[in-house]
Amino acid sequence: MHLTSIMMATSLIIIFFLLAFPVLTSFSPHPLPSNWALTQVKTAVKWAFFISILPLCLFLNEDAETIITSWTWMNTHTFDVNISLKFDIYSIIFTPVALYVTWSILEFASWYMHADPNMNRFFKYLLIFLIAMIILVTANNMFQLFIGWEGVGIMSFLLIGWWYGRADANTAALQAVIYNRVGDIGLIFAMAWIATSLNSWEMQQMFTLSKDFDLTYPLIGLIVAATGKSAQFGLHPWLPSAMEGPTPVSALLHSSTMVVAGIFLLIRMSPMLENNQTALTICLCLGALTTLFTATCALTQNDIKKIVAFSTSSQLGLMMVTIGLNQPQLAFLHICTHAFFKAMLFLCSGSIIHSLNDEQDIRKMGGMHHLTPFTSSCLTIGSLALTGTPFLAGFFSKDAIIEALNTSYLNAWALFLTLLATSFTAIYSLRVIFFVSMGHPRFNPLSPINENNPTVINPIKRLAWGSIIAGLLITSNITPLKTPVMSMPLLLKTAALAVTIIGLLTALELASLTNKQYKPTPKLSPHHFSNMLGFFPMVIHRLTPKLNLALGQTIASQTIDQTWLEKIGPKATTTLNLPMITTTNNIQQGMIKTYLSLFFFTFGLALLLLLY
Amino acid sequence: MLKILLPTIMLVPTIWAVPAKYLWSTTLSYSLIISLISLTWLKSSAESGWSFLSPYMATDPLSTPLLALTCWLLPLMILASQNHTAPEPISRQRTYITLLTSLQIFLIMAFSATEVIMFYIMFEATLIPTLVIITRWGNQTERLNAGTYFLFYTLAGSLPLLVALLLLQNNTGTLSLLTLQYTPSMQLSSFADKLWWAGCLLAFLVKMPLYGAHLWLPKAHVEAPIAGSMVLAAVLLKLGGYGMMRMMIMLEPLTKELSYPFIIFALWGVIMTGSICLRQTDLKSLIAYSSVSHMGLVAAGILIQTSWGFTGALILMIAHGLTSSALFCLANTNYERTHSRTMILARGLQMVLPLMTAWWFIASLANLALPPLPNLMGELMIITSLFHWSWWTIALTGGGTLITAGYSLYMFLMTQRGPLPAHIISLDPTHSREHLLMALHLLPLILLISKPELIWGWTA
Repeated sequence: MHLTSIMMATSLIIIFFLLAFPVLTSFSPHPLPSNWALTQVKTAVKWAFFISILPLCLFLNEDAETIITSWTWMNTHTFDVNISLKFDIYSIIFTPVALYVTWSILEFASWYMHADPNMNRFFKYLLIFLIAMIILVTANNMFQLFIGWEGVGIMSFLLIGWWYGRADANTAALQAVIYNRVGDIGLIFAMAWIATSLNSWEMQQMFTLSKDFDLTYPLIGLIVAATGKSAQFGLHPWLPSAMEGPTPVSALLHSSTMVVAGIFLLIRMSPMLENNQTALTICLCLGALTTLFTATCALTQNDIKKIVAFSTSSQLGLMMVTIGLNQPQLAFLHICTHAFFKAMLFLCSGSIIHSLNDEQDIRKMGGMHHLTPFTSSCLTIGSLALTGTPFLAGFFSKDAIIEALNTSYLNAWALFLTLLATSFTAIYSLRVIFFVSMGHPRFNPLSPINENNPTVINPIKRLAWGSIIAGLLITSNITPLKTPVMSMPLLLKTAALAVTIIGLLTALELASLTNKQYKPTPKLSPHHFSNMLGFFPMVIHRLTPKLNLALGQTIASQTIDQTWLEKIGPKATTTLNLPMITTTNNIQQGMIKTYLSLFFFTFGLALLLLLY
Repeated sequence: MLKILLPTIMLVPTIWAVPAKYLWSTTLSYSLIISLISLTWLKSSAESGWSFLSPYMATDPLSTPLLALTCWLLPLMILASQNHTAPEPISRQRTYITLLTSLQIFLIMAFSATEVIMFYIMFEATLIPTLVIITRWGNQTERLNAGTYFLFYTLAGSLPLLVALLLLQNNTGTLSLLTLQYTPSMQLSSFADKLWWAGCLLAFLVKMPLYGAHLWLPKAHVEAPIAGSMVLAAVLLKLGGYGMMRMMIMLEPLTKELSYPFIIFALWGVIMTGSICLRQTDLKSLIAYSSVSHMGLVAAGILIQTSWGFTGALILMIAHGLTSSALFCLANTNYERTHSRTMILARGLQMVLPLMTAWWFIASLANLALPPLPNLMGELMIITSLFHWSWWTIALTGGGTLITAGYSLYMFLMTQRGPLPAHIISLDPTHSREHLLMALHLLPLILLISKPELIWGWTA
């Protein structure tokens, strides 16, 4: 085995061991020390991050990618399932990013959750989640990927429902699992198709073998899976609902790692995807629709976490668009940069929410720039990075995506929707800054505002550095797999920036309009559409369960089980047999006449037969 | 074979001879030793053939996992029954354990029989102890009705099997499983042959139970005491699957078309019973219906007759046996504390019994087939083989997985999450016995992840 592969495998195994060690030791019957979360878990993740730098350096230096198959797990006559790990550009870069972000979030969580009696358990959940995520990213095998895929889903169930006394949290947790399960049907479909047609779940074999097949249906399955996990349009409502979970959970799962798993799956499968125009078009249109729809929803939300959640959903849509453009590497780049600034935005909102005594409504904030200067500065940096301000992290990925979109000849409709969503990004980002940092305070006078704690400042600071330089670092170090278009008209080149600036100006104008009332009532129906999330949850969350539960109750249970099956089975047996039994019973009541007449009747009949 | 069977039979005198004080601990450790010895069957040297042969009994890769499961379940049943039989006089306790033991004797003979007719007799013999368990030891008057349903559904289904077996004996001259698969395949064309085909399978389809013939199951489960529910869900239903797998080989040329309606029924049942689960208020009834739903998948996997289907069916049978038995035990821990099966009366238990919640969580996840638990391996293999047969099945199986996730988590959220109701004032703390019971259910399930070929059957 080559030395480089050994180094990569070893470092991954060390990472797994480092992360698993606190989980395993926590099963000891002795209660954990109260600082376990910080001393054990955070340290483990920190060291895992430093170790994950090693394969990254190897990759950057030697461009080394490798696949390691270690153990045949299951083996039927023709079909193997192995434990096999993949180290390619995607897993090698994503692992350090995920670990870096998690490290910061864990440190922040130790402050945010300090009053929770079960904080150690919370950290344990986060750690198990992280392990599942790394399994997903490094899997070279559909089964292994499925383990990670479901693992992150279930951990998200546990973490969203962390405050399990609240009905809302439980509902949101269940909702997340059910939407994800709909996506899983797609994944299972794709896996079944791959198993029956290609006869292997190993990725490199799948890619080689699939050349001669029409892959439209399995790819649609994979897209459905990605739709569920990455909250694309149709299966998106779980993501904003998931904000019921604690803010560190939103920062880790629902912005930077778990929700990008769907996009990551498609990036992984891009060798199968790239030759299938139908699937690519579906991705493009689905992504465009998602990014615009969720950006629209973000415009009028008042809950700070909901806004950030919708902006996540919108960015996921943008990533999906990029997949549709057949630029998986750009989508991956956006995953990486997005992880930094979105996690930071969540941490900033967490810090503000905590400072304002658990107030999430942006209308009751304001003037935070004077009271929490560091947090609000970082909030601004994050928002600027999100809108794609030149030379912040978001710029390098977002601008490249929009350029690729502009120079492609694919679908003008999708292009238009995406550009519109880009300008919306500027609008809702400004709205958050305007309501939270600027203006006058609108919160209660006695708020426990205090951001001067190293466990708040340091994580946000680290992520802020990431939001500033990560894009530059990554783009200047990795080799693009596809040749980017280098020259284009000025209008196309600056389109992303232009629509963003237009959005910003519009938003500023609208903000100033709020002080000068021109109309007695503003136009309400567009507002309702956006504020009520396009009426989507109202319809789908009532109609579908109602139908299904009615099916369960009235048809399956009452009509079939309790009525028809009873009627034609046991009850029918009773009603058929009862008259005969009654008659026979009634005859034999010790009356000599009946007996005699029966005797003579039988005797006569026998005689008749005998004579005949 | 006799190494297990004789100790099991000798367990009966032990039960009656042992001093009352040591009754439960002795029987528990005795049966546990038996089950540990039975694990040696799993390490059979013959890769695909029969091993541990005696004149009438043998094991092969298909029956071994089920035999091991049977032996494994007796100590668990004893462990689970200890609390609720405690108020009974000691002789009744002894009778009860004797009943459970007799069930294990019959089950071992059923699974290891090499003669189909012996399998049939043992298959019928298991009805007697089960009936007694349900009707004598159940809690409410509905238990009598449940017993009637249980007996008559199963008997009515299995009498045609006797006739069919006698016919088979007439045609082939043997009913030995060792040689049956080598007999030349029969020319089956007439209508009577089709009836014969149905007769061969009907008993097992009722036992599984197939959707449509499942009415006895929820009733029996709900009314039976905990040990009855456990053994019903874990082993007795699997008799149906096992019998089908054995018979399928002989029915070869007919099965292809004739099985279509049954496959559809089974899959449709997955959806329908799953939907019923979503509306259940009764904890045990929910788990019972979930069993019907899972066994529908097993039935479909067997009827599809591919090696993946068989393997998946066997894996799912074992995994579901452990999972549903674990769920019944958990339901029973609630029942023993609140004396009600109604879910809404015992909510928010995470607050008071946090470790139990962990078991509930693992068991629910196993029920909804979380990878890499064997439940998922089984379901995935069955879904794949069904998918290979027809693409449309993914709508039913996929919908089934969605609904399964829905009701499993509904059950979990309903019992464990949310605020604690005000009427729950003093709950017993959990016993180590209960935790041991759960651990003995779920640890094998988790350990099977690393070596699934133990429960793979012939494909291994």
